[in-house]
Amino acid sequence: MQETTPEKQTRKRPKVNEVNEFLEIASDFEDPLEVIREALSNSYDAGATEVEISIKSRAQESEIIIEDNGRGMSESDLESFFDLGNSTKSDPEHDSIGYKGHGTKILYKSNQIIVDTAQEGKNLHAVMDKPWDTLNNRELPEYEVTESTTRPGNDGTRIKVTGFKSGRGFAPESLTYNKIEHYLKWKTLAGSTKYHFHPEQFRDLEITVRLDDGIDDSRERLVTNNKLEFPEEQLDPGEEPFPEARMCKHYGPKTLQIEADNGETTELEVVGMVGGKDARDELPTYGRHSAQFGIWLAKDHIKVERLNEAISHDNEFIHFLFIANSQDIELSANREKIRNKSSAIYQAIETELNYFLSKVAADPWFKGYLEQRRVAELNRKASTQQKSVEERKKAVTERGRFEATNQSEVILGLERSNREGAKPTITVEDFDLGADVNALVEQNGRLYGSSVHLKLTDHFEEDKPLESVGKILCWEIGDRDKLREIERRGYQNGHVEFDLESNRITYGTKSRHTIHIVEVPSRFD
Amino acid sequence: MSFDVPETKVANFDVKSTIGDARSGTLRIKDTELETPNLLPVLNFYAGGLARSLYGGGIHRTMKEFMTGDDVIGGGDYSEYFDGVMTSVGSLTDYNISRERYEDYIAEPVKEREVFEEFNGTLFLDSGGFKFLGGYELDGSNFEVEIDQAKIFEIQQRMGGDIIVNLDRPIAPDDDYETRVEKARRTAENVVEFLNLSEGTMSARFLTLHGYNYSMLDTFLGEIDDIVGASRVHDEFDGVALGSLVPLKDNKGRLIDAIQDCRSILKDWGFDDLPLHVLGISSSAIPLLAAVGADSFDSSSYLHSAINGKYNTSLTGSKSIDEVDFSKCNCPVCSNEVLVSRMKGNAEYRKDELGPVAMHNLIVQKREVAYIRDCIRSPGTDDLIEYLESTLGQNKSMRLFAHRVVNESLGGYF
Repeated sequence: MQETTPEKQTRKRPKVNEVNEFLEIASDFEDPLEVIREALSNSYDAGATEVEISIKSRAQESEIIIEDNGRGMSESDLESFFDLGNSTKSDPEHDSIGYKGHGTKILYKSNQIIVDTAQEGKNLHAVMDKPWDTLNNRELPEYEVTESTTRPGNDGTRIKVTGFKSGRGFAPESLTYNKIEHYLKWKTLAGSTKYHFHPEQFRDLEITVRLDDGIDDSRERLVTNNKLEFPEEQLDPGEEPFPEARMCKHYGPKTLQIEADNGETTELEVVGMVGGKDARDELPTYGRHSAQFGIWLAKDHIKVERLNEAISHDNEFIHFLFIANSQDIELSANREKIRNKSSAIYQAIETELNYFLSKVAADPWFKGYLEQRRVAELNRKASTQQKSVEERKKAVTERGRFEATNQSEVILGLERSNREGAKPTITVEDFDLGADVNALVEQNGRLYGSSVHLKLTDHFEEDKPLESVGKILCWEIGDRDKLREIERRGYQNGHVEFDLESNRITYGTKSRHTIHIVEVPSRFD
Repeated sequence: MSFDVPETKVANFDVKSTIGDARSGTLRIKDTELETPNLLPVLNFYAGGLARSLYGGGIHRTMKEFMTGDDVIGGGDYSEYFDGVMTSVGSLTDYNISRERYEDYIAEPVKEREVFEEFNGTLFLDSGGFKFLGGYELDGSNFEVEIDQAKIFEIQQRMGGDIIVNLDRPIAPDDDYETRVEKARRTAENVVEFLNLSEGTMSARFLTLHGYNYSMLDTFLGEIDDIVGASRVHDEFDGVALGSLVPLKDNKGRLIDAIQDCRSILKDWGFDDLPLHVLGISSSAIPLLAAVGADSFDSSSYLHSAINGKYNTSLTGSKSIDEVDFSKCNCPVCSNEVLVSRMKGNAEYRKDELGPVAMHNLIVQKREVAYIRDCIRSPGTDDLIEYLESTLGQNKSMRLFAHRVVNESLGGYF
């Protein structure tokens, strides 16, 4: 290759289309409830002890107002709030939840954002109009900030979002207190397990949600805390038909020290419970049980993704609710997925969690719980069986005489007819239900290859041979037209004739032989 | 004033420590002491060869050279790994030996032979019932000896075992009830003869038991009780050896069942103070079975692994001998340049290459069993649980068994 001398050298930096970035990030958030999730995290990170969320449905557009008593924002905090990827919470080890600076961008999917934030006597009032329309016109929306003074000691932040749009269209009418409560407990820091592991760092957050009466007037407001609380333990079974249903045992909190193959280390904070359906029903659920229970990996002690493979296949994950938190799992921008699954540390977490849960599954209490389920199921079955015995007894009492309903009962009937003196005596010497010629019967010292059926027609419907059959024992003849058809068409390449008057079948291909029909009920006449 | 009570027991089993069902103690017989749980390597003292070749050839011979610290292996003191040794009367049939050679082999007790004068461990002499009567083709006919209880006892005495057992009739997993009862009955008849013949012996006598669960063992002991009398069993035997488990060796769950049930039956029959030896089961089962109350084991797996080119890294793990970095092991074999060179293939005979591997394997196994013993002797269950977690717990197919013994014997995790 020919050598060249550089004449001009330039250094270039890849460009980012800022508008597209904002659109991309904001579009990642689909569920309008994610607005609440982000707001709670921000309020907690701002040191708030109280946060109130109001959702109002207006004729034109909806309003979401989030107000907290945290430490408020400085000018640079406010800039970060509107900026992209410029979080002030840069230290992931620090006691804060978001740090990518993406979360608040969900608010851009609206018609207006107004922020009022007070810090140390100074109030900042910021207004951004039509952020979503502006972005979609390929422009960066701007906001106006007005500074004023306020009473010291009155710190806090109030955010009002008007006309929020989600992919499905934000319909506040679809929200209910019940739905929001369950969402909060399942998906946000309101369902945090942190208090189990770091009680000294843990700070109570009182969360109040108010919905417009037009949205849900079932109650005035919803108040909850930031703890995922498990149903009370009940180690012993109850006495109901489902004695295991309220059984519940707590496991942990336990901190597992993990070392990956590459030497990286982390702590996995595991807490959870095993329990029956009634116990599980005491927990808030967001969606179906089957979609919610199992083993959750968490970051910031908030559930992210399930890892139900951590429970071996012979155990149903539905009995378990475990939350395993590691600050070394990394999340996608919208916090919905773990993005470092191929890392050594993630693999080590998976292995360790697998091991921990194998111990839970081997716990004698859990085995006892499963045994309770099994025994209860057997008992329920037995009671159904008992019922069926009762029904059968009733049927037997009501009928006038013995009636065979299957092959074995045909034999019972035959034996009974012998006992009552029917002649000739025919006894079944050998019975093999699966064999083509399923019985050997004895009559006057001679053995006959025989076939036992409830109906004579069954023999032909089952396509059994006739060659080595001397007798067919049956309770009834069955559909005589079927026999006539067989007579007409022949049977297994042979000629067959039914003489039901004299209880005979003649059959043969070249030579013929006679088969005796024993219609058992006639022996009682 | 005190009266002398005739002492029929030769052995003294002193349990020093128990955690859960696991126990650790000292078994004293004559001038030998065996710390339990312990693993007795299986050796063949008479494997082929001539008297001048240490009574045996092949890899067995190399093992005996290690046992006695022979110059051939560069000397050294390996006696701590031979504190107990298992051999079987049945091993006399391993090689086609003549009547003359046989007479020579049993002419003098093992420990009194000059070649074995360095050996001072406990010698367990199995009856060979598994070989003679377990359905195998072998019998004593190739050296023209008719095998019966009297002959077995005679051989055991002449070889000078510290522990001897009655001639037993092992059961098989597919034996039906009648067959098992018949085998128990015939074993019981041997037990009577054995006790009569061995009255006054200086060897400790172990009763062989066969069964895979409580009911089978109960039936077996029921026959013994009918024919021998329970009190005689209790007063005259020094220990119990549970047999017939070899066909179940790969089914850890059934092995745990068998040992747990055996300990229960011994307790219910009042024999719980006797040491319990598990015949023919070792390696990865040892931690599990020790945790549920087995006191000693015997094994030839160290030898068979070596013959198959496997180098043990633990009771449960091994590597192919070709892949081993010997510098990673601090055992006396791997620390010896000459032996390492032989293990790398620089040896004229295969036995010289694989013998040291077998010795290394034995050392690894013995060290691990000693560690288990220490865990049982340390206060609390934490050490043993941690050991089970860090070994068997790391293996997905084994961890359920580790969990089981932790839950059933050591108080559980939660």
